[in-house]
Amino acid sequence: MSTAVHLDEITKRFSGVVANDDVDLTVERGTVHALLGENGAGKTTLMNILYGLYEPTEGTVHVDGEPRDFDSPADAIDAGIGMIHQHFMLVDPMTVAENIVLGNEPRKWFGTTVDRERARQEVIDLSNRYGFDVNPDDAIEDVSVGVQQRVEILKALYRGADILILDEPTAVLTPQEVEELFRVFEELTAQGKTIIFISHKLGEAMHAADDITVLRNGKNVGTVKADETSNEELAELMVGREVLLEPKAEPQEPGDEVLAVQHLSAEDNRGIPAVSDVSFDIREGEVFGIAGVDGNGQSQLVEAITGLRTPTEGSISYKGGDITDASRRSRIADGMAYIPEDRHERGLVMDFDLVQNGILGSQHSPTFAADGRINWSDARDHAERIIDEYDVRPPHADADAESFSGGNQQKFIVGREFEREPDLVVATHPTRGVDIGAMEFIHERLLDLRAEGKAVLLISSKLDEVQGLSDRLGVMHDGELMDIVDPRNTTEEEIGLLMAGERPNAAETDAEPPVGDAK
Amino acid sequence: MSTTTIDRLRDTELSYRATLAGGALSVFLLIALLGLAFPSSIWGNFLAILTSRSTLSSALRLSVPITFAALGGIFSEKAGVVNIGLEGLLIISAFTAVITTAVVGPEMTVVGLPAIWIGFFAGILSSVLFSALFAVVCIRFKADQIIAGLAVWLIALGLAPFAATVYYGGVNTDNLGTTLGTWTIPVLSDIPFFGAFFDADPAVYMMLVAVPASWYVLNRTAFGRHVRASGENPKALDTVGVDVSRVRYAGVLLSGFLAGVGGSALSLGLGQFVGNNQTMVNGKGFIAIVAYLFGNYNPIGAFGASFLFAGLEAAQIRLQQVPGYAIPDSLIQTIPYVTVLVVLALVGRTRIPEAAGEHYDTGDDNR
Amino acid sequence: MSAAENAKAVLRRLTAASATERILISFAALIMAVLVGAVIILVSGRITTCQTAATTLFGTGFCYDPVEVYLVLFNGALGEPFLVNSPGILKPLNPNWNPLNFGFALTLKETTLLIFTGLSVAVSFRAGLFNIGTQGQLILGGLATALFSFFVAPLLPSGLVGGLILIPLAIVVGALVGGLYGAIPGALKAYADANEVITTIMLNFIAAQIAFVLVSEFYGNPDSQVVETTPIPDWATLLPVAFPQGGDFSILALAFGLALVVAVWFLLEQTSFGYDLRTSGEQPEAAEYGGVDAKRTTVTSMFLSGALGGMGGAIWVLMVMGKWQAGVPALGFDGITVSILAGNNPFGVVPAALLFGTLKSGSLAVQFGTGVPKQLVGVLRGLIILFVAMPEFFRMLGSTIDLEPDRETVATDGGRLGGDDE
Repeated sequence: MSTAVHLDEITKRFSGVVANDDVDLTVERGTVHALLGENGAGKTTLMNILYGLYEPTEGTVHVDGEPRDFDSPADAIDAGIGMIHQHFMLVDPMTVAENIVLGNEPRKWFGTTVDRERARQEVIDLSNRYGFDVNPDDAIEDVSVGVQQRVEILKALYRGADILILDEPTAVLTPQEVEELFRVFEELTAQGKTIIFISHKLGEAMHAADDITVLRNGKNVGTVKADETSNEELAELMVGREVLLEPKAEPQEPGDEVLAVQHLSAEDNRGIPAVSDVSFDIREGEVFGIAGVDGNGQSQLVEAITGLRTPTEGSISYKGGDITDASRRSRIADGMAYIPEDRHERGLVMDFDLVQNGILGSQHSPTFAADGRINWSDARDHAERIIDEYDVRPPHADADAESFSGGNQQKFIVGREFEREPDLVVATHPTRGVDIGAMEFIHERLLDLRAEGKAVLLISSKLDEVQGLSDRLGVMHDGELMDIVDPRNTTEEEIGLLMAGERPNAAETDAEPPVGDAK
Repeated sequence: MSTTTIDRLRDTELSYRATLAGGALSVFLLIALLGLAFPSSIWGNFLAILTSRSTLSSALRLSVPITFAALGGIFSEKAGVVNIGLEGLLIISAFTAVITTAVVGPEMTVVGLPAIWIGFFAGILSSVLFSALFAVVCIRFKADQIIAGLAVWLIALGLAPFAATVYYGGVNTDNLGTTLGTWTIPVLSDIPFFGAFFDADPAVYMMLVAVPASWYVLNRTAFGRHVRASGENPKALDTVGVDVSRVRYAGVLLSGFLAGVGGSALSLGLGQFVGNNQTMVNGKGFIAIVAYLFGNYNPIGAFGASFLFAGLEAAQIRLQQVPGYAIPDSLIQTIPYVTVLVVLALVGRTRIPEAAGEHYDTGDDNR
Repeated sequence: MSAAENAKAVLRRLTAASATERILISFAALIMAVLVGAVIILVSGRITTCQTAATTLFGTGFCYDPVEVYLVLFNGALGEPFLVNSPGILKPLNPNWNPLNFGFALTLKETTLLIFTGLSVAVSFRAGLFNIGTQGQLILGGLATALFSFFVAPLLPSGLVGGLILIPLAIVVGALVGGLYGAIPGALKAYADANEVITTIMLNFIAAQIAFVLVSEFYGNPDSQVVETTPIPDWATLLPVAFPQGGDFSILALAFGLALVVAVWFLLEQTSFGYDLRTSGEQPEAAEYGGVDAKRTTVTSMFLSGALGGMGGAIWVLMVMGKWQAGVPALGFDGITVSILAGNNPFGVVPAALLFGTLKSGSLAVQFGTGVPKQLVGVLRGLIILFVAMPEFFRMLGSTIDLEPDRETVATDGGRLGGDDE
């Protein structure tokens, strides 16, 4: 067995911040190698170096035994390396075939014109060879995420890649699509290709990889064979300490209904149905979770509830009144807090300081603005209180939101929303991008709110999070609420099937709008 | 998401534009009907104007600057750089073309090339240089594209009358006493009405070639695909090893080239540059932007829209010559602008390239 | 303190310095524009013909000397405080200089008008709307003021009392008409998603034509050869007080403009509406999230912007012309430059208007004194915008001279600041 990739003492610094610290990595030809680590461990940076996107500050990249100095991805591609990024690098309105040959179009008529027939044929040949099922003429925007990923892989293979790097390839897939991907891995390695995939899920690494390298804080903390290690060993390598317990909500008797969603349908920005006929309710002192792969209508559902999107059908009632057509502003005034999924776009105004951001949504409330004039000293006190209580670092209310790290931005948003004294908290991915300490803190605060009798709608793509915190759990697939289950008595596999759109034969809950089942 | 819904969406999008185009056609037919029914009424006059060969001829001529600017705008915006400075490119090339011809001497020929054609190419060159400046400012120095485009417009709007005053002592140039002239194709030009296509300004022929050629480049060549990718998802292009900046520079320079042809043709068709108020370009660059939005970034559609706007302009000019109606000329002159406004309001929801208007960073902090 | 926190502290200092940085960039842009202007003057000095070269560089004679041009410009704008025609680098002071002179009045006149149009543009730009239509709003607002004053004046007692009633009313009418005309592209943007850059430009053309038709066909001065309205009685206009030599500058109008600056600042920074407006401008998605009614804010902001432009037209009519006349100067476009130079900050508008007003009024002296056409200002107008638009240029310039620490973004995995803590 020969060595496909050898990274020799790679160090990468960004203005003094060390992203990779003296990392050695050896990947054997024809194997699947998992690069495992927590968010921020430096996995993607390392792979971007291998792919020529970044230049290492120190160290050497060897491919097939040769030392290489990549100035750009073009050099890496020439050396037979292909990379499939977490966010697909595809041109949506163009077809599958156009995307695959992009930058390397076969030409005719003295190179003036793209030979579309040959491009199509080459794509068909290639996908047949590796057993992929893609139609070269479909537009990218029309095909599923799983197919898009296969297009990305074909794109790399078309360019003659022998070594494929995949960055978090499973993040956007259903459990079943993940299985499919791992089968593709086997097919590729059987034909001599080498695969490196980045993951923070140790189960996946154990399942799909031959070798596993664990990165922590930019350092290689160990390379192990998948069949010679255990989950516990990997977990300890990743975190460097005992793994935290999953949060568990104490059973609690819910009170009156706070939010009821009835037969709700909504479209996405392009006018395509995204939510269809969703019904559920949330009571005081209850956490209602929604699980599902990202992009299955959760965003549109939440936007309809919080007043950012007009539903096409159905109704929403809140604290006994119909709010289907109520404005966003009136919903905020009525005690609806909302942690949005995109903090850069919605949650914070990046060029405003925290004082100004602290009153986002409250700029008309009597607390901060009597007679239309904002009381900036109250606003400052408010921001400083949030900073203090939610441990936003650095504690500078005058700094622009942009200058804070993602985790601290998130803590500030969470603080602002929780401090609204809400009756309903809609929390989408509330712990995305925060460190473990902050994650525990946010979980605790969510459960505090629940204990205070508030209603919580929790949307997260982290299954363990929604499962651990929720009293009831709805699972969404393709805009539909597949089922509402008791998270304490349902296995991850059962939820996974629902996420993939498969209903168990014996449905436990009626198809009719569910009512609180905790009585 | 299901394919059928997307298809439906596209169908509505398409039928929406079709309705608009159909609407324009039915207004035309209505006028024709009324004109035929009441030949001595105002409708009769309208019909006479719309069906006269000279209206078609002037509509073709008037559509030249708009169409070329629109083609340029397509390449630039498809590549991801919104070029709102097309107006400025038209102004600078229109002026440069005339003044170069004047400096060379309108009657002179240099190595067999008549001065007017030297002026023509000089106009193009000036527009390309301006667009190069715009490109550097937007791509290298990451300026806001809208503001930089406005700056290009305002600089040209200031520079042309300034230079004209320096040279001639007034904001208008003297008349060259010569124009690009017409190229007449024998026999074909004798066809009634449509003969106007074969008895036209050389720039009209260039336009009739440039429109399909632009379509071909955009849709059938690798460069065209790179342009489209660069405007939709530049990262996709970058990661397959194509230099996004280079594609964007090419797109913007091409827009400068095309707008330059339009500007040179505009002033040399008349033999003079008029520099007062908004200059002789008078908003054509902005109308071109609406034209390509209306044409959904398709060169052929953009030409159709340009032709529609130019046709209105031509009809408007002719309408002013019809005696006996108490409509003030200035009011009639607003017709094309109002139409542009209405069209823009109706096609407001055009899908613009995903990454248009955004800077593209390669993401490597080492550079 | 970890390395990451260290790096973030650097960044924080830089963002805190951003206000200073903006001012620096504006000044740098002004200087660059003036320098490029100088090159243009030199080059045009080769195009034109003259008896004797004004300056000689590298053995080549040029008809215009840029240094002299700018000297004459500033000197003219201030009413010739220096004797520029005397030899030597340091020019002696003019013993007869009086600060209340004609040239300075002209500068202040331009400044006053530019405060209005600059504010108009600033309000829309702060709301994230590129209102290029201040020109059209000014044209129609001014016309409304002229017609209103003309028709209402006979109904009022002439003199001070009449003026005190009529002038404010006339300004309100101008503001209303300008505001409504500005609301049109606002509504088109809000409800039909029509790009406001194009619609406002189209509406500029339409405004000019409509005003022309109204005056030439219906409300023109029958005794005049040009397209203009009948003059408003003097008592209903803003007359120059402090400047005996005239120059169409009224200190009252300037005071009103400055009061508006404070009012606009207060509105933007201290009120809930201003918060809505700024949030919409900075980040529309966040504004929506924060309960801002995007459509209403768009229309209201454009109304406000148009009203300020309309007031500019009213002041032009009442202070400068005493009537409306076709061929309205391009004050609306100058307003874009002023606002951009001011970083769209209401207080910044005052110095920006003064600077650009100086350029404009000085350009007349330049044309008279050196023969360089006054259209030069039109070129500078665009150049200033261009240079302010590319702060990156000055940053790069700055980092070559090594004024600033490395401005790299702190990043680990994603390379995006504010991204997940990966």
